[in-house]
Amino acid sequence: MKKVIEVNNLTKEYKGVKAVDDLSFDVNEGEILGLLGPNGSGKSTTINSILSLLNYKSGNIKIFGKKMDTNAYDIKSKIGVVFQDVAVFDELTVYENIDYFCGLYITDKNKRKQYVSDALDLVGLKEFTKFRPKQLSGGLLRRLNIACGIAHKPKLIFLDEPTVAVDPQSRNNILDGIKKLRDNGATIVYTTHYMEEVEILCDRVIIIDKGKIIATGTVDELKNLSNIKEKVTVEVLDLSDKYIEEIMSLKNVDSVIYQNNELFVTYKKGKNNIVEMIDYFKNKRINYSKIFVERPTLNDVFLELTGKELRD
Amino acid sequence: MFLHNFIYALKILCKNKVLIFWTFAFPIILGTLFNLAFSNISNSEKLDVIDIAVAGENINSNFKESIDILSNKDNSDKLFNTKYVTLNEAKKLLDDEKIVGYIYNEKIVVKKSGIEQTIFKYVVDEINSKINMSSSIFQAEISKEIENGNYNINYELINKKVNDQLNTKVSLNDTSNKNLDYVMIEFYTLIAMACLYGSLLSMTCLNNIMPNMSNEGKRLSISKTKKVSLILSNLCASYLVQLVGLLILFTYTIFALHVNYGSNLIYIILLSLAGSLAGLSLGVVVSIKFKVGENAKIGILIGIVMFWCFLSGMMGITMKYIVDKNIPILNKINPANMITDGFYSLYYYDTLDRYLLNVISLIVFSLLLLVISILNLRRQKYDSI
Repeated sequence: MKKVIEVNNLTKEYKGVKAVDDLSFDVNEGEILGLLGPNGSGKSTTINSILSLLNYKSGNIKIFGKKMDTNAYDIKSKIGVVFQDVAVFDELTVYENIDYFCGLYITDKNKRKQYVSDALDLVGLKEFTKFRPKQLSGGLLRRLNIACGIAHKPKLIFLDEPTVAVDPQSRNNILDGIKKLRDNGATIVYTTHYMEEVEILCDRVIIIDKGKIIATGTVDELKNLSNIKEKVTVEVLDLSDKYIEEIMSLKNVDSVIYQNNELFVTYKKGKNNIVEMIDYFKNKRINYSKIFVERPTLNDVFLELTGKELRD
Repeated sequence: MFLHNFIYALKILCKNKVLIFWTFAFPIILGTLFNLAFSNISNSEKLDVIDIAVAGENINSNFKESIDILSNKDNSDKLFNTKYVTLNEAKKLLDDEKIVGYIYNEKIVVKKSGIEQTIFKYVVDEINSKINMSSSIFQAEISKEIENGNYNINYELINKKVNDQLNTKVSLNDTSNKNLDYVMIEFYTLIAMACLYGSLLSMTCLNNIMPNMSNEGKRLSISKTKKVSLILSNLCASYLVQLVGLLILFTYTIFALHVNYGSNLIYIILLSLAGSLAGLSLGVVVSIKFKVGENAKIGILIGIVMFWCFLSGMMGITMKYIVDKNIPILNKINPANMITDGFYSLYYYDTLDRYLLNVISLIVFSLLLLVISILNLRRQKYDSI
């Protein structure tokens, strides 16, 4: 598979502290690579170093097979970036903002008009073209931010936490838009600390903490790294200690926690453990209101690898 | 690409209400207030003749001549009512408050402080200073002639040389054959302020395109547009907006406030261009050198410009005299003073020497700041953004 980005041994220091520590990874053509990590883990610094916005201590970065630097305008012409902070001009309307940034790449006016229209469609801002950024809600503003970054139809797109502080409706809209971009052939690097987004979007995930890669693979591969295979949750009133001890002794059970009328049971191996749990409650004639099973999340993986939550 | 950036930079600047207020509206408001406050000052000053006395008998003839000119009833700019009296009589007149003060041994004696006393002191100081200066130059010229072995000295020629030298050395109120209108100085400083307020435009433009200063700058810097094209298009846009603002101010002050800047239109334009360039370069250097937010930079620029305008006489012409007299270097490096003095010399002098010196000083000032800025702008990557 063709490599779009090659990062080798990237190290970036701020005042002697390593923000990115010997990072190496590739991004393949047409994939969505997720950079997952808590705030301050080095995701944005990695992106800014790849984009040659930041000095870095050591390492090699190639994009489209060529060395990336500030004067690599041929590479830059194929890149689109959506920064974590909204980067639009308050003085311009929605349309003007997209047109301005798109015009930095597309000089043909008619072509640009079409591209701007496509970008407006993609992010669902067609009705807001004459609005100023300050007149938009947080979610709509984020969508404008994305439109400005991708209107010129780049082959490689960096999305740095594009859904931070966004309402659920806008988030779904944004995620749908990103899928469309991938479907149109773009390669995407997506940084976030929302594991749900990574699970929905990403073909491959790199988990970063303290500037280091701590795990990499597909979502399923990463989940398989977890010692926990299944989690069963039961909503049940006044479960006595006797029953809890019995549940603990059931097959494959690793841990049992009962709090606030909720029973959390984890399993280190086996499949469909929920069946045995349902049988147990049935046999003991214990009534429960809800029971469901979950696979381990990326947060569980992160918790096991680092001892802390992703959103800590 | 240049045109695309230029057009959008223009749009961004013209829709920025804060910038438009400071660069367009504020000078017009201030000009209107100047007009309301000072429109009758020239006339009223003529009525305020100051009563003084000259005591003693051994009075320097040049000094007496100067006082007599300023006390001549036929002089439309008559400043003093002068009585020549004995020292005791002078003291009595002062005690009886019939005079503001008296001159004894070319020094003034006053009893209290006030505007009339200040004017009296300033004028006498100026006369003394002028006499001392002419005396020194005269002596130097004679010594030079003697050193050259020329004992047949042409005093008339030396006198002309002295006058020529004095004309190039004196400051505001000496050599003009036109009436000095202090209100004009206020409007000159207003133009200077408007020129230098252009710094707000260039500062904002730079902030918008530099990746270490704004998010928009980050986005622009990863585009395929070359940095030099971005910077030039934005600075050209800011310069154009600045000149339009200046044109509006000139139009308003000339046609609505009836301010007469003189008839040398080409020179006025040249000085305005140079002054605006100084403003532009000031904005660029502040944008690059001060690592603070945009509002803080606006505050810094307004502070700097107002301080410079204050020194060049915006809040009172006396300040310009005080600086000229005590710390002349301060006004030599003050672009607001260069612009004010440029307009002044264009209006009051028949030769262009002093005017051109100010224009060249402004260009040198601008180039110096721009060179400092370019050294910083060459930087491509940052340690943090």
